[in-house]
Amino acid sequence: MLAIIGLLSGCGGGGGSTTSVSPTSSAPSTPPSPTSPSSPSVTAVTASDAARLLDQATFGVTASDVAQVQSLGIDAYLTQQIAAPASQYSGFVYTPHTAPANCVTDAATPTDASSLCARDQYTPFQVQRDFFVHALNDTDQLRQRVAYALSQIFVVSSVEIYEAYGLAAYQNLLLNDALGNYRTLLEDVTLSPVMGHYLDMVDNAKPDPANGTTPNENYAREVLQLFSIGLYELNADGTQQLDSSGAPIPTYTQDTIEGFSSVFTGWTYPPLPGASSKWTNPINFNGVMVAFDSQHDDTDPKPLLNGYTVPPNQSSAADLKDALDNIFNHPNVGPFIGKQLIQHLVTSNPSPAYVARVSAVFANDGKGVRGNLAAVVRAILTDPEARGDAPASEEFGRLREPALFITAAMRSLGGKSDGVYLRSVSSAMGEPIFDPETVFNFYPPSYVLPGTQTLAPEFGIDNAATVLARANFLNTVIMQSGAAADPTVTGSIGTRINLAPYASTTDPAALIAQLNQALMHGSLPADASNVILQAVKAASTTDVTAPARVASYLILSSGQYQVER
Amino acid sequence: MQRRRFLMHAGALAGSAALGQMGVFAARAATAEDYKALVCIFLYGGNDTNNVVVPVDTAGYANYAKLRSTIALPQAQLLPLAVAGGTPAYGLHPALPGLQSLWNAGNMAVVANVGTLVQPLTRAQYLATTSVKPDSLFSHIDQQQQWQASISDTSSLTTGWGGRLSDQLASLNVNAMVPPMISTGGNNLFVTGAASQALVIPTSGAFGLSGYTNSSADSARRAALAQLLNIDSQANLVKAAQNVMTGALASSATLNPILTTTDATLSARFGALTSNFAKQLLAIAKVIEARGSLGARRQVFLATLGSFDTHSDEVNRQQSLLTELDAGLTAFHGAMADIGAGSSVTSFTLSDFSRTFLPNTNGGTDHAWGSHHLVIGDAVHGGQLYGSMPTLAIAGPDDAGDEGRWIPTIAVDQYAATLASWFGADATTLAAVLPNLASFSPATLGFV
Repeated sequence: MLAIIGLLSGCGGGGGSTTSVSPTSSAPSTPPSPTSPSSPSVTAVTASDAARLLDQATFGVTASDVAQVQSLGIDAYLTQQIAAPASQYSGFVYTPHTAPANCVTDAATPTDASSLCARDQYTPFQVQRDFFVHALNDTDQLRQRVAYALSQIFVVSSVEIYEAYGLAAYQNLLLNDALGNYRTLLEDVTLSPVMGHYLDMVDNAKPDPANGTTPNENYAREVLQLFSIGLYELNADGTQQLDSSGAPIPTYTQDTIEGFSSVFTGWTYPPLPGASSKWTNPINFNGVMVAFDSQHDDTDPKPLLNGYTVPPNQSSAADLKDALDNIFNHPNVGPFIGKQLIQHLVTSNPSPAYVARVSAVFANDGKGVRGNLAAVVRAILTDPEARGDAPASEEFGRLREPALFITAAMRSLGGKSDGVYLRSVSSAMGEPIFDPETVFNFYPPSYVLPGTQTLAPEFGIDNAATVLARANFLNTVIMQSGAAADPTVTGSIGTRINLAPYASTTDPAALIAQLNQALMHGSLPADASNVILQAVKAASTTDVTAPARVASYLILSSGQYQVER
Repeated sequence: MQRRRFLMHAGALAGSAALGQMGVFAARAATAEDYKALVCIFLYGGNDTNNVVVPVDTAGYANYAKLRSTIALPQAQLLPLAVAGGTPAYGLHPALPGLQSLWNAGNMAVVANVGTLVQPLTRAQYLATTSVKPDSLFSHIDQQQQWQASISDTSSLTTGWGGRLSDQLASLNVNAMVPPMISTGGNNLFVTGAASQALVIPTSGAFGLSGYTNSSADSARRAALAQLLNIDSQANLVKAAQNVMTGALASSATLNPILTTTDATLSARFGALTSNFAKQLLAIAKVIEARGSLGARRQVFLATLGSFDTHSDEVNRQQSLLTELDAGLTAFHGAMADIGAGSSVTSFTLSDFSRTFLPNTNGGTDHAWGSHHLVIGDAVHGGQLYGSMPTLAIAGPDDAGDEGRWIPTIAVDQYAATLASWFGADATTLAAVLPNLASFSPATLGFV
């Protein structure tokens, strides 16, 4: 709170101003948003738009955050969020890749730390749990939200990174880099031993003529296809460039992949503390990978993107720098990454013009810097397509993915949780945190509604089994009493919400209106309110919170809530 | 439109006390002698079938062992595939003893070097820049989707061949109590039709809403929940979310009792298996066992097994995955015979692609192309290898480059057409389901 007060005092007339500022005059307190040079005015933030922003920029709307956004104004709120120190996964320490023999999971009759060692050190359990604790409680909401989006683009999975400390180290990297520069993020991800292990850049050696082996192509292919430029040449607005016959133009060939696979040779795990470094070092997820130029491929040609070929006989590090610069400067990165961030934060189907505005900021943040992710995120959230009370089109919006559905429900209903139950229900809904089956995430950004061209990534995991899991989560936390504390988890508090603030509202219609504002920034259709009203009137009379339980259960079950608009 | 009709139909019946009776009645009238199911087993990540079907003759094995070097399987461990009146030329991966038995019993066929193609291709044609090749070769998601769609010349695919086949044969399922396509492996293009999508069922736990009693308060809440799903929205995503929930409520009411009942016959086959893959096949087996009361005459199922993307440590990883595959498929095949559906159910594999014949420096392999596939069931003309194995030579006649990426000699379309033909598709239907089938000859391969 001290930081917030400091910002408030330092930012002059940002809060609560009702005056319009002409686009030619400079804003009084914050730099002009680089994204909306044509934005006609800066006006007071309505409670509804503040809540919509918070749905897009945080893990769920709270009344206090709405008040803060209204007080600061959107730009100043974003400035404060961008400056907020990164929350971190802490307390995770190195463990050997192969668990000691006494490391088991005996949660029924735990006797000492080793009784839960397998669960706590060798599964994502504690990291997943922490994810929800941070999302519900920590103040760096925007950074966490962007980091979670990035974790679904720059994917690693506990399918292979099962050591908790490794998963935690990687998520800390994303939290630290989420609002920095994309080039830094790309390099940090590339040299992370966690990514190295996941996509096999670690211990990737030069060809061995005796065995006929070739450099590993895994990281080379996926860094291009998923982390930077994608398969096809794009226009700045995210649409595909087409050749003279109307066909999309591939961004690379198999030769390019083999070129990058040769570049990405010669790196192994960082040495363990106190150990001397050698080719190959034992598995260690702390720190950054180290180079052994003796293992670097100096024989194969290295054609990269856009006709560039790496000069011969460079070191591992020099090749890597050239290759990452080559990727970073490809014109696709802005639209490719920018569109996905829009999809994760605001809407599944951004207009080409929206993507183009964000791409332009990626290319130049207004100060001549390419790849400024804070500026990109600000552009996404302050774009005319994201702001205002009325969603732009029938294609606008995004299905709340399981993790965000859970956290939004919890935060808006005063929820407290240790994350134990929440991690489990997120998995049941199809989104096991940091544990997707493959590097292609829980769902691809290209997923469309069946039989349409409507992009709907999160619908990739929306099906009969998972939607019933959503409804049954609401039953547990709202209609029942939540989840009890877990005696095998230190400091466990279980999972529960707090509907007491609604107990005093005895008029059913007023209650629904109140919850409509708290949960859906007032956007619930009138006919839906009327349907809910009948059920609220029939609610139990023995429990003063029963009407609020019924109303919130039904609102959160509705398609209108499940799809954030 | 067909899906909407189905949902209304099922929804109307679901609340009726006559549900069970009507289902049984419909089943006896329609399905006693005419039921078929296709069970697609999608091996996610790209199964290295170069180590699934391996030459065992002296010269063939020597060539294999030299090229595969660090990841070559020992000759003595390979499981020979017996051939009538001859010496086995190939052996299966040592983790597949159950499947070897199925081959020897004539219930499993191997289809060699199948893959995504727009038209037949030689190496020379492939290397010529003007040839027509599949889009985005060697990319996981694109090659998965092309296998699932049996369409390879575009990257924007909206329906799969299982979905289109199911759409075409919809008249056989008019009495069905559940959607004609069911997946235990999540949403998938293979089981997506023009206006239909597979019902995704859970592999453990209850399938339905919890927290409702017969109280008037709960009844009112349940009624409101249903009414909310009918609130008209201008937003396409909202409508889609409502549709998924509507389908879930209707079908779960029918299927929950089937899925949550422990069945002694099936348990005898699956009881000892704990893998998610085995649980998927058990759930599918339960639905097939209930075919009489569910009233569907043609069902398409999808199960998935992942982590075949073995870029490193392939020998150990594939051993573990194929062990799981072998146990699950063997149990499932036995269970189908036990419930009298042995010749009504045909299972088959799909996968992203096979992998480079040359290993990489991490003891793994990278993305390649043509792959060998397994077809299992009592209707299968098994114990035979269909098509021809590629020449296992680097930069040889079947290599797309110089790392051993085999150019397919059988198109996915032909593989799909053979299965669809058994399922009941005539020539007209085949042409509708597989729009590019005419580019390949013969249209069907006769393995089932």
